[in-house]
Amino acid sequence: MRSKITLMLASLMMLCVNFSFGQEKTISGNVTDQNGLPLPGVAVVIVGTTTGTQTDFDGNYTISASEGQVLRFSYLGQRTVDRTVGASDVLNVQMQEDAEALEEVVVVGYGNQEEKKIIQNVGIVKQEAIENLQVVSADQLLQGQSAGTQIVNSSGVLGAAAVIRVRGVNSINSGSQPLIVIDGVPITDTAGNTLNQGGNTGINPLSYVNPNDIESLTVLKDAGATSIYGARGANGVILITTKRGRKGEKTTVTLDVNTQFTQSTDVPDILTADEFRQFKSEVATIQNGATVTPEDLGLGAIGSGGTDWLSGVQRTGVSQNYNLGVRGGSEKTSFFFGLDYQDREGFIIGNDQQRAGARINIDTQVTDWLKAGMNLGITNNRLNRIGVENNINAPFTTAFLQSPVVPAFDDDGNFVQSGSFIPNIFARVALDTRELKTFRVIGNAFTEVTPFPGFTWRSEFGMDKLTLEEFVRNADFNSPGGAAQQIFVNEDRWLTNQTLNYANTFNDDHNLTVLVGLNYEETLRTRSNVASTGFLTDDLRNLGSGSTPTVLNGDRFPSRYYGLFSRVSYDYKGKYLVEGSVRRDGSSRFGANNRFGYFWSAAAGWIISEESFLEDVSFLDYLSLRASIGTVGNDRLGTFPSLGLFNAGPIGDYNGQSGVVPDQPENPDLKWEESETLDIGIKSTWLNGRINFNASYFKKTTSDLLLNQTLPPLTGFVSISRNIGELENTGLEFELSTINVSSENFEWRTSFNLTTIDNKVTRLNEDAATDAQGRRIIDGPIQRAIEGEPLNNFFLIRYVGVNPQTGDAEWLDVDGNITTNPGSADRVVTGSPIPDFSGGMTNTFKIFDFDLSVLMNYSYGNDVVIDGLRFADGNDAIGGIVNIRRQNLNFWRQPGDNAFLPSPTSSTFNLFNQRSTQQQLDASYLRVKNVTLGYSLPEKALERLGNIFSGVRFYATATNLFTIKADEMDGIDPEVTDDIDPLFQGESFFTAPQAQTYSFGARLTF
Amino acid sequence: MKTIKVLALILGLGVFISCEDQLNVVPEDNVASNTVFGSLATINGAAVGVYSLNQSGDLNGNPQLMGDFMADDVNFVGSFPSLQEIDQFETLATNASIDNIWFDGYQLIGAANNVIVNLPEVSVDDVTGLTEATKAQLVAECKFLRALTYFTMVNVFAQPFQFSGGSNLGVPIVTQPFAGGDITEFQLERSTVNEVHAFIEQDLLDAIAVLPEDNGVRAEAGSARALLARLYLYREQFNDAANFANQVITSGEYSLVDNYNSFYNDGETSAENIFVAVNTPSDGPQEETGSDEVYVTFYNPAPGGRGDAPFSADLLADFGFAVGDTITDDRRFDDLSQPATDAGGNATFFTLKYPDVVNNASNGPILRITEMYLIRAEANLRGGLSVGPNTPLADINLLRTRAGLPDLLSVDLDGILTERRKELCFEGHRRMDLLRNNRNLRPGGGAVSAPGANKVIFPIVDNEIVNNPNITQNPGNF
Repeated sequence: MRSKITLMLASLMMLCVNFSFGQEKTISGNVTDQNGLPLPGVAVVIVGTTTGTQTDFDGNYTISASEGQVLRFSYLGQRTVDRTVGASDVLNVQMQEDAEALEEVVVVGYGNQEEKKIIQNVGIVKQEAIENLQVVSADQLLQGQSAGTQIVNSSGVLGAAAVIRVRGVNSINSGSQPLIVIDGVPITDTAGNTLNQGGNTGINPLSYVNPNDIESLTVLKDAGATSIYGARGANGVILITTKRGRKGEKTTVTLDVNTQFTQSTDVPDILTADEFRQFKSEVATIQNGATVTPEDLGLGAIGSGGTDWLSGVQRTGVSQNYNLGVRGGSEKTSFFFGLDYQDREGFIIGNDQQRAGARINIDTQVTDWLKAGMNLGITNNRLNRIGVENNINAPFTTAFLQSPVVPAFDDDGNFVQSGSFIPNIFARVALDTRELKTFRVIGNAFTEVTPFPGFTWRSEFGMDKLTLEEFVRNADFNSPGGAAQQIFVNEDRWLTNQTLNYANTFNDDHNLTVLVGLNYEETLRTRSNVASTGFLTDDLRNLGSGSTPTVLNGDRFPSRYYGLFSRVSYDYKGKYLVEGSVRRDGSSRFGANNRFGYFWSAAAGWIISEESFLEDVSFLDYLSLRASIGTVGNDRLGTFPSLGLFNAGPIGDYNGQSGVVPDQPENPDLKWEESETLDIGIKSTWLNGRINFNASYFKKTTSDLLLNQTLPPLTGFVSISRNIGELENTGLEFELSTINVSSENFEWRTSFNLTTIDNKVTRLNEDAATDAQGRRIIDGPIQRAIEGEPLNNFFLIRYVGVNPQTGDAEWLDVDGNITTNPGSADRVVTGSPIPDFSGGMTNTFKIFDFDLSVLMNYSYGNDVVIDGLRFADGNDAIGGIVNIRRQNLNFWRQPGDNAFLPSPTSSTFNLFNQRSTQQQLDASYLRVKNVTLGYSLPEKALERLGNIFSGVRFYATATNLFTIKADEMDGIDPEVTDDIDPLFQGESFFTAPQAQTYSFGARLTF
Repeated sequence: MKTIKVLALILGLGVFISCEDQLNVVPEDNVASNTVFGSLATINGAAVGVYSLNQSGDLNGNPQLMGDFMADDVNFVGSFPSLQEIDQFETLATNASIDNIWFDGYQLIGAANNVIVNLPEVSVDDVTGLTEATKAQLVAECKFLRALTYFTMVNVFAQPFQFSGGSNLGVPIVTQPFAGGDITEFQLERSTVNEVHAFIEQDLLDAIAVLPEDNGVRAEAGSARALLARLYLYREQFNDAANFANQVITSGEYSLVDNYNSFYNDGETSAENIFVAVNTPSDGPQEETGSDEVYVTFYNPAPGGRGDAPFSADLLADFGFAVGDTITDDRRFDDLSQPATDAGGNATFFTLKYPDVVNNASNGPILRITEMYLIRAEANLRGGLSVGPNTPLADINLLRTRAGLPDLLSVDLDGILTERRKELCFEGHRRMDLLRNNRNLRPGGGAVSAPGANKVIFPIVDNEIVNNPNITQNPGNF
């Protein structure tokens, strides 16, 4: 920041009229960088005057100066050079790169700060950490990279959204995903814009950014960092900065091409057709006391064939990625162009994606007091969607459940009906269309005016325009008469940010920065959702050809947002730092009584290593302590949560007459959800940068929780939006990075992070539901939040196992006694989807021209509930027509058997698979997330190629290479979640597993 | 240059002004609650909305289907564990399928209460076109729908009248709409079955007094009389039952229609029908969040439906069906069934009463004239009465003649119930017909399916239990 200000000041001085003094002569010269290349745009100023100039494109300058005056040469990223004018008229300067200066600027909310002097708690993921990662979407760049940021991929299905949590769950019903800001534009969540395909995670909003365009990511964590985002900061903020050119930089072109092979990580072991027949007849024989053959059960004879559905829905997906980046700059203008094309195939049939993206980022210094620029990213995406989770159209789920004796094709190779509601999934995927097309433009244009020294007024106008079309066409075979549905959504946001920044240094020691700003946003979501049925033939594709068109939705949701904010930072000698910020936010979403909210933060830091008493401690490079406290808010709860509303449309209409039905009870007092965060941290660097260690502690209290309070059903409403209760998250974060070995030809670096989070519901509303002990609760089918306990608890009947003597399945009743007939009153807290600790570790090695990086992530102490096991285990689910896991073959036959399944004659045989901890599994894991091996051609080889390329790198990447997990998770991915809603974390029906990918590619730079 | 800078600064400052007024944004696709009673159109809309809620598959669909699963008309080939629990008399309070019966029931009751309580307060002087007669009629229609819903709920969540003369617990009686205030007023105790029945009776009597004899597809006087006849039959008030059934039959508004297929699905205007839940392709039983269709989905075989609820062997036998047959002599089977495989892959038969698999929009049957003949016959027989022109035998033979069957020479209660079953199967009557006549729900069924057994009724749903400290759960291990 400081160097930037210097630069601005320098430019400012240049424009002012200079008054000359005696013996003035014209000095000229050439400025080069450490490699002897000309440096354009270097500011050349006569110290003590306002006279100055800039070097031209060839690094040349001329200036009028007198002997004895001092010329100061300054340039971003280079050490400033002072030279006294002597007798000579020529003054050439070679500048040296200032490594510290290059690294030190970090993007924070509405500005940049020197990394060294940051007293906000931010997680920084720099370019070097991500440039060699081959990922599909930007959220994966963050995975395992930053303490306090937990990312759970919902599945390996293309386009699936990840659950992103910054410092745990801070809200109950209100959204818990962080605010994502791309180059200053907060992007809209796209959840709810697309059709539910089973599961509740929607389409990944980050799939609209090309990960190759990203320069760095900053995760704002404490209130000191987030309160400048006011009512939207409670879940943390992720700032994404895309690549920009540098002025005077030689233009480089980077071309990256790779091919990727995708398969599933792990799938459950289920029965073959004959095993299924054998199992069913054996069970029936025992139950009937007389031999029952598979034919008696209508399953066909042993050996009469069947279908391996699970293999049939999987494939090895082959994907191609092409990425082109061009960056460079002239004296005044710098640019970055990015082009990106992906043609991806998922490992599940029917799932593929084509994405094309383009980006233009331009900065230009119009005059010495005016800078202007533009960032524009365009993405065009076509995704063939598949069902997931609890959805009969989900290939993975249905392949799992479909009976293996059901044939998929007749003798002529035509699809046959499965005969049950579980469809012939091959036919569904092959004949039906589920296409999602999106076009999204995210960008902004800005001007930066420096009217007076020290002042910068930045004016930004941004937009996020999403156009989405989803088209579903079910063939006559799958849906008699055929059916089509088409959804159009336009989600348009435009916004402006106006900020005025003042930075100055007084008496050399007092540094002051003041920021005031305004943020105004308008969002309008428009949707039309139209369906049609009754098609003569499948070749008549579109809505108009059906006999019965229906409008399902046609609506618009406007919302507006207006914030004023300010931040003041002050430090004394760069040693003692304080910072405060305040924001006032207004939102159209809130009731007239509580339209505005005020948020604030205060932070202080002490850079101990700057103190004289530590000057001589050679092994310590940097040590600072910081603390912050402040508030942030959360406003994600629908568009009009406070109004009493009646709904119209088909829900209210009857027999062609228009009607309305009560939809939402009124609550004019509804207000922001507010979190107060205390954060204490230490940052340190030791042994000449060989060891970096950071640690922080936080306590975040969310009060006035925005909650869809469940109403007594007798009210006729399901819920009402109210501010109730209080939630507390406390945690510790550690980051350690070390350079273990550093020699000319071998380098080994390790970075490790770990986060612990404790979550507690400290208070619920007085009229909340209560449990048998009178504690206030929020109840769900699998989880229950209890006052005084963590928000997420699995609340289930405890399953014990099959009694080897009796062959009965046994559970515990609420008092802990064995029972064979448990009820819903026997449910207790049995586990948690929240890990005790989680994090990641990256090891990078450089050996000669090879580089290897190994990224691992881990999670410990969390459970998942795989609800689909209620179907996949036991004998009777869905009338016993579904396939089951192989361990079910181990059923109790005689006393002494340690069986998985109870005796077929036991009264518990059919109760076995009722919802209990039988479906709750230990989801701790350590996963090798990404391994990349690269080889860069050495300089000599490049020379031999005639210096066409400035760099050539070949690489191979494997993701999700292997996973260490509990035995009971065999065939089930531990990294699953069905729902983005905090109350349903760690629940899954049958999530498709993560994808395992192998990619091979090359990156050419020239 | 200075001028430009100043201009730019002023321009920028302009943005700071007047953003605050922009924050008043109103919904474009909802009606605010304080304006609903402001115009004749929205007042009528509020009543239409109650009919719309009555389309819900959880009020006209699931209770009937689940009753069939518990009773002996269908052979359960389940696709949901929650439905399987019901079929096996293992229902728990957390059962996800019964939840919505409770929710949607009280949602309709709340919407009806909104009209019944608030509309009489609206002055005809304040709303153009509103008359006292319109007010009274809309209130009466809402009372009919409220009574219908209470009746559906008390039948599934409480033991029938016969269990202890109606002194056992029924369901809570809510009479007020919720407007966002104190929720403790909605944490009510359960009233007894007798109290709920009395409340239903009063609503229906009020409705009869006001409703016109012909009101199109909306509730009319005959609808309320017919429902009241059913209530009295269930309460074994045979004289009242026979009288009200007779009034409906003799009103001249309804008659037995010869073509069976004509009064299901799109047959709302058929003379056979007294009151149905009308579903159309553009306005089906769906709720916003997804398909709420039950009849079409469950009673039809794949691929149009799920194939979960085929004819039971017992019902086929009553139709005179022997293995290998494809037709019987009974038109109610021949015209209204189709052979297909069920969800388990077994060859069997499915009903054709809900054939609209393309749009999932078959009508929900609620009251039709046949039932009035059956009520009159049963009430006359069991009460030793002779209300109306026909003997019980004559009433039953009327229905048999229409079905193409020869006349019976005599009829007893078994005969009436068999005829009733063949006439009304898959329309949600069978479970109550067995329970109120003290018969086991399953042929040769054991204690779990016997009248009065704990799980022949549903538990009060878990959501009510945890959100209402004053509620009492049904006995049994729920």
